[in-house]
Amino acid sequence: MEIIWLTVFAVLLIGYFALEGFDVGVGMLLPVLSRAGERAGEPGTRQQHRDRLVAAMAPFVLANEVWLVAVAGTLFGVFPALEGTVLSGLYPLVVALLASWVLRDAGLWFRRRIDGGAWRAFWDAVLCAASWGLALSWGAALASVVRGLPAQPFDLPALLYGGVVAAAFAFHGRAFMAWKLSGPSESPRTGRRLLLSAVVAALPVAVPLAVVIPSMLDHVAPSATLNVLSLFVLPVVPIMIGAQVWVWRAFGPSGSTGAAARIPSFF
Amino acid sequence: MDVLDLARLQFAVTGSLHFLFVVLTLGLAPLVAIMQTRALISGDPLFERMTRFWGQIYVINYALGVFTGLVMEFQFGLSWSGLSHFAGDVFGAPLAIETLVAFFLESTFLGLWIFGWNRLPKKLHLACIWLVALTAYASAFWIMVANSFLQNPAGSVMRGDHLALTDFGALLTNPSLVMAFPHVIGAGLFTGSFVIIGGSAYHLFRRTSEQEFFRRSLRTGVLWAFIGSTLAVGFGYAQFAFIGELQPDKFKGAVPGTALGVMILIGQLIQFIVMLGMLPLLFRNLLARFRWVHPLLMIMTPLPFVAAITGWLVREVGRQPWLVYGKLSVADAMSPGLTKGMITLSFAAFVGVLGLLAVVDYVLIARTVRRGPTRLDLGAVEPAEPSPTPALAL
Repeated sequence: MEIIWLTVFAVLLIGYFALEGFDVGVGMLLPVLSRAGERAGEPGTRQQHRDRLVAAMAPFVLANEVWLVAVAGTLFGVFPALEGTVLSGLYPLVVALLASWVLRDAGLWFRRRIDGGAWRAFWDAVLCAASWGLALSWGAALASVVRGLPAQPFDLPALLYGGVVAAAFAFHGRAFMAWKLSGPSESPRTGRRLLLSAVVAALPVAVPLAVVIPSMLDHVAPSATLNVLSLFVLPVVPIMIGAQVWVWRAFGPSGSTGAAARIPSFF
Repeated sequence: MDVLDLARLQFAVTGSLHFLFVVLTLGLAPLVAIMQTRALISGDPLFERMTRFWGQIYVINYALGVFTGLVMEFQFGLSWSGLSHFAGDVFGAPLAIETLVAFFLESTFLGLWIFGWNRLPKKLHLACIWLVALTAYASAFWIMVANSFLQNPAGSVMRGDHLALTDFGALLTNPSLVMAFPHVIGAGLFTGSFVIIGGSAYHLFRRTSEQEFFRRSLRTGVLWAFIGSTLAVGFGYAQFAFIGELQPDKFKGAVPGTALGVMILIGQLIQFIVMLGMLPLLFRNLLARFRWVHPLLMIMTPLPFVAAITGWLVREVGRQPWLVYGKLSVADAMSPGLTKGMITLSFAAFVGVLGLLAVVDYVLIARTVRRGPTRLDLGAVEPAEPSPTPALAL
């Protein structure tokens, strides 16, 4: 039972990086990719390029970011002794991560709610800056966990690892856009590249996790607690997987052409 | 203020903000689902427009519910790590179940609903909003299970220096839960329908072009306000017997005592107004026709929100100084090593950011209501245009 729940935790955390990584990456690259579109001579203003980028990732964000909520819940339920130690040990980084997360989401939810270029450009800037904040604070947090939660988490290794995570997310975000905007003939190739970039995005968390996971086994909740979790959660897992698969089937590349292209994005 | 006061205030502010948005989410989700069901069955475009209009308000409101919820979930570990050390083996289980079986699905299905307009088959799209509503209620249930454990630590025994889980069934039949959960559900419906009533009254009063739309909305709102207020008031009073036994001193303090008085006053007053005033005036649409009543209906919109916050003040302040009632004090649950600098930083970050975003969100909701159902983002289809070939150079 311990192994099952340890696996669930690992899958959720790695899955969060592999999935939400491209949303964060697209957010980070918003100015770069919109300018690239402009240089390539595509029609539309820079704002319209940004709209197209955000619209491409928008249907996936809610289904992706929720993996981290599940990570936090699992941490509390399965490793209660660790939850407080790790989160309070990473205090300033968790605060930065949460503030970035909230602001990134606010950028998405608010950018189209009022007409006008300044409003949307402002929230796009928030979206981009907060996506960078998310990637960098994740990198610093992982660097801190691996080194046993040092008292001063802001140092050079933390910054460097933040750069690694940011680079992996940016790579993933670019691969996602290539896949999402590809036609039927290229989508198998871009799809394979997206899988590869998902692995790249997951590596920065998978490696530290492999280092700390043996020590996590000592902090698993007692079997009475795990049995309750299994009873209520495991029967629902097929529905969770089914819902996630549905998102990918509904909003794949074919959805961005033809009639579906005329559906304005909510984000 | 010392570190403990700041940590408590931070949790109280995020928790109160969270519930302001969640209570409306809980109320609007089933009402929007019902509107969409009627749209599908009757084929009447009015119901589809109602779904999109009130659905857009639901969705804008939802955003802040998520933001504040994220901060709350992580705050347990940031500020109150003593709670997970002492009671994590019991308290962690309902929270973990909530995130995995309820919120995970709620967020996924909401994404499918928001972005699936005109893309998913109509029946599957309708199923999405019902699943969102169902999982929202499941979420509320598990959070209430966790909260009720803090009020009355059932199903657990002291083992060494911490609580161990002995009987999960006792958590699910906790006397602190069984009457409080339907009370919260009633409060949600009550709040959701008052927003619908207030918004409809605005358009009826201003005599905008959408009279039929808001007459129908007003009827729906009043009907559900009656159901919601009856549930909320009935299950509110039903809690007194349990509380007298479990937490006899709950209402003794100034804050919980006053908050209780305000909540009962609002609940009782509005229930009478809804039952004896608004409901009978649905006859021949009198309520929609009596223009002088509409400003009153608008003014009453915030009252269920005030009642909801005072309700939580009663429940949470009334159990002080305990975090887990009778077992773990709030002071003992605070994370060791939490300094004034840390808590001040996070207080500024969380309360500042969430407070600002909450104001923005309410302004956006008010604008959406004022603009009416003519131009909506949710479920919109653009007229055909020469499509720009999106061959992004990568």
